[in-house]
Amino acid sequence: MARPCRRRTDIARFLLKRFALALITLVLLSMIVFAAAQLLPGDIGRNVLGPFASPADVTKFNHEHGVDRPVYEQYWTWISHFVRGDLGMSLQYDVSVGGLLGPSLVNSLKLAAVAFVLVVPLSILGGTIAALRRNRVTDRVITITGLSLTSIPEFVTAIVLIVIFGLVLKWLPVSATAPPGSNALTQIKYLLLPSFALVAVLFGYIARIARAGVIEAIDADYTRTAFLKGLSTRRVLFRHVLRNSLLPTIAVVATQTGYLIGGLLVIEKLFNYNGIGQRIYVAATNKDFTLLQSGVLIVGVIYLAATLIADILYSLLNPRIRLGSAE
Amino acid sequence: MDRESMMRIEHYRRTEAGPLEGTLIDEFVDGEMDRSTFIRRASVLGLSMSLIGAALEAFGQGPLARAATGAVGAVGGRLRVGIGPPPVSSLDPHTYKDTGGLVTGVIAGEFLTRATQGLTLMPELALSWKPNANATVWTFKLRPGVKFQSGQSFGADDVVATYDRLTAADTGSQALSAFKGVLSPGGTKRIDDLTVEFRLDSPTANFPYLTSSTTYQGILLPANYKVGTFEKTPQTTAAFRLVGYTPGVGARYERFPGWWGGTAALDGVDATYYSDDSAIIAALLGGQIDLINQINFVSGRALFNNPNVQIFNARGATHRQVPMRVDLKNPLADFRVRQAIALTLDRPAIVKTLFASYADVGNDSVFAPLYPSTDKSVPQRHKDLAKAKQLMAQAGRARGFKITLTTERVGEIPQLAQIIQRSVKAIGIDMTLKILTGTAYFAGTQDGPPLGWGNTPWLNAPMNITDWGHRAVPNVVLNSAFRSKGIWNAAHYSNKKFDRLVTSFLGAIALKDQRRYEKQLQEILLHDTPVIVPYFYNYLTAGTKRVRGYKADAQGTVYVSRTSLA
Repeated sequence: MARPCRRRTDIARFLLKRFALALITLVLLSMIVFAAAQLLPGDIGRNVLGPFASPADVTKFNHEHGVDRPVYEQYWTWISHFVRGDLGMSLQYDVSVGGLLGPSLVNSLKLAAVAFVLVVPLSILGGTIAALRRNRVTDRVITITGLSLTSIPEFVTAIVLIVIFGLVLKWLPVSATAPPGSNALTQIKYLLLPSFALVAVLFGYIARIARAGVIEAIDADYTRTAFLKGLSTRRVLFRHVLRNSLLPTIAVVATQTGYLIGGLLVIEKLFNYNGIGQRIYVAATNKDFTLLQSGVLIVGVIYLAATLIADILYSLLNPRIRLGSAE
Repeated sequence: MDRESMMRIEHYRRTEAGPLEGTLIDEFVDGEMDRSTFIRRASVLGLSMSLIGAALEAFGQGPLARAATGAVGAVGGRLRVGIGPPPVSSLDPHTYKDTGGLVTGVIAGEFLTRATQGLTLMPELALSWKPNANATVWTFKLRPGVKFQSGQSFGADDVVATYDRLTAADTGSQALSAFKGVLSPGGTKRIDDLTVEFRLDSPTANFPYLTSSTTYQGILLPANYKVGTFEKTPQTTAAFRLVGYTPGVGARYERFPGWWGGTAALDGVDATYYSDDSAIIAALLGGQIDLINQINFVSGRALFNNPNVQIFNARGATHRQVPMRVDLKNPLADFRVRQAIALTLDRPAIVKTLFASYADVGNDSVFAPLYPSTDKSVPQRHKDLAKAKQLMAQAGRARGFKITLTTERVGEIPQLAQIIQRSVKAIGIDMTLKILTGTAYFAGTQDGPPLGWGNTPWLNAPMNITDWGHRAVPNVVLNSAFRSKGIWNAAHYSNKKFDRLVTSFLGAIALKDQRRYEKQLQEILLHDTPVIVPYFYNYLTAGTKRVRGYKADAQGTVYVSRTSLA
């Protein structure tokens, strides 16, 4: 058995390696999004000044905002400021990018949090029940329901929810933005409908992964040994089965983080929610480079942070990784 | 005939009326115009309402009724307005070019005059206006006692500064499209603190429309206004102050206690921006907003028969132009082909499909039925496939050809494009649709090489569809979209006789002369068909039954200073 100091070294090395990989990924991401932004149609000067501005005024605007410089120069200026926390000014709105992205990011995090709180326990519960009732009616109902909901596009689910719960029954508000000054409970109430739409999209997938993990754990030798030792079903389930079966589920949940933070454009539009997905989309449409690039990179940072946290959780739950033998 | 009113009119003609006003009264007496047209034109020339009423009574018409603004609700409450789409750039009024920007600004802005639904001009920050004999100088008397929300007093200097900014070439204001050739920087003169003179570059009988809410960039601002501060500091004269603004999210307005018009019924206005039609409609139906700034029939059908929703409707001249380049070496260069394409369209069916009853059929010119100068005797073009095929055969195109129609994804335009694509199939034309985002459609240069219209798709595609907003008079569109070398002449159309007639039309004072020139212009356009104009549609908005005293505006502005909530 490894000594404690060697275990700490292994964990530190593991985390350092993950962090370095994340940094390299972010640098690559920044280059890709910068290059992609250059390919977007349109001209920021023309977009802002309108169709009647003279070419001289458009050229002057583009020059003042540095968008006519060589691309490597523009990239370096942007990234060197970004890493110092200076996200620059929105070319379209002439306000600080941080001032625009900050509230949008907070909104996206709120929506993701409510959706996570609903979908993760529900999916794990559904997957576990399906596994425990393997091949019976309950299993079939949960699996088929989950698959069906996942196959329906999210905008269809969202519209159905809006019509039923928002317009016909009038139980919930149809827009996700609560009035300014609303308390936490009111904000959660406004986020319920879009969260239900996200639960519908994600439940099937996460529940299937959870089901597969539980089945594998139930069939494992250590579970049989635990039962033979005389442990209760409840203790076996929570102490042995779930602990091992949740490993793949954690990985799947982490990979959905990027989608939940920055990929909800359709949901944000339908529920008129000022999330970071909408911000990025509008920035791309209007060729607002600074807003677009910073927005995408922030989503990238969050996604990588989520996978890093998932890796840490994974290592805490899996002794083989803690001891370095799974490397 | 009311003798007392007649004496008043005669006194006015002897002592005050100039040639323009005299001509107007003569035309009315001779039956050249109906009552509503007289009221409209009289308001443009600055006749007061009491004088207009006297004229109506003097010549045997009914008295001028005070327009009812609808039932009045309670005092208090905040109006929740859904605005779509959001502003695309900053909120400096002289830069307004998109719906979101102008609606946001105009809730807190005022003009010298305000155009009503019937194109009558009402005093706002100007109390009266009067032309000289040939409409080259207009004198405006300003409303006394008006304060900006910043505390400064409103006066002539502020009007001069505002209009100099609008007409300056280096501000890039879209208002230049209206003022070019009419008013130059320095043409607005302070006579005294409450009197301003506009010294025009050319006679313009309809000039007061350019000082009204139809030129939505013309919000009056203090002379010391700093560009870029509109959304940061309340500094207009209107009933509501803009106190909060978040790009892409919304705006907040509070009642201005110092408003010259008294106390607005509403405590304030909360505007929320929407980028999706279904979201804004759901918000209205779900009770989260009270008013939508604009709806279209295609996406808003759920509102039209809903008992809890009221539709506000303003007849206007908003239209779509389908220019066909006349200067390319392709089949469109032949006017017979262009006529044939126009003859494939079933316009009443298009209007019914896209707008139900809320649009007028167009006749391939910009002379909307709404305009008093439109001669209604010009025959309406109808669908005629037999004639279309005959024209194609005469042009040597009996087997058709391929063409690409380029357009933008706005409103019902994609559906119109599909209708045109299906219609021209009947005469053998294989049309490909290229539907771009607004950004891509208006991207590129607008003037200069290769042909003077730069390289932007909307001015250079062989065939396209472009949205054109409402204007109180057709002058700007005629000049910019149809005249030779017009800056927005997407068809690259050039006809010297047409150009001369436009000059005559713009300079004509008497309505019958305007109609005479207009008829000739329409006939030329029907023959040459450089552009198809299939319809002029009404501006539609929707609100809950709580909203009282609100009227839709054909320009799309949201005027809520006199609105209340039940």
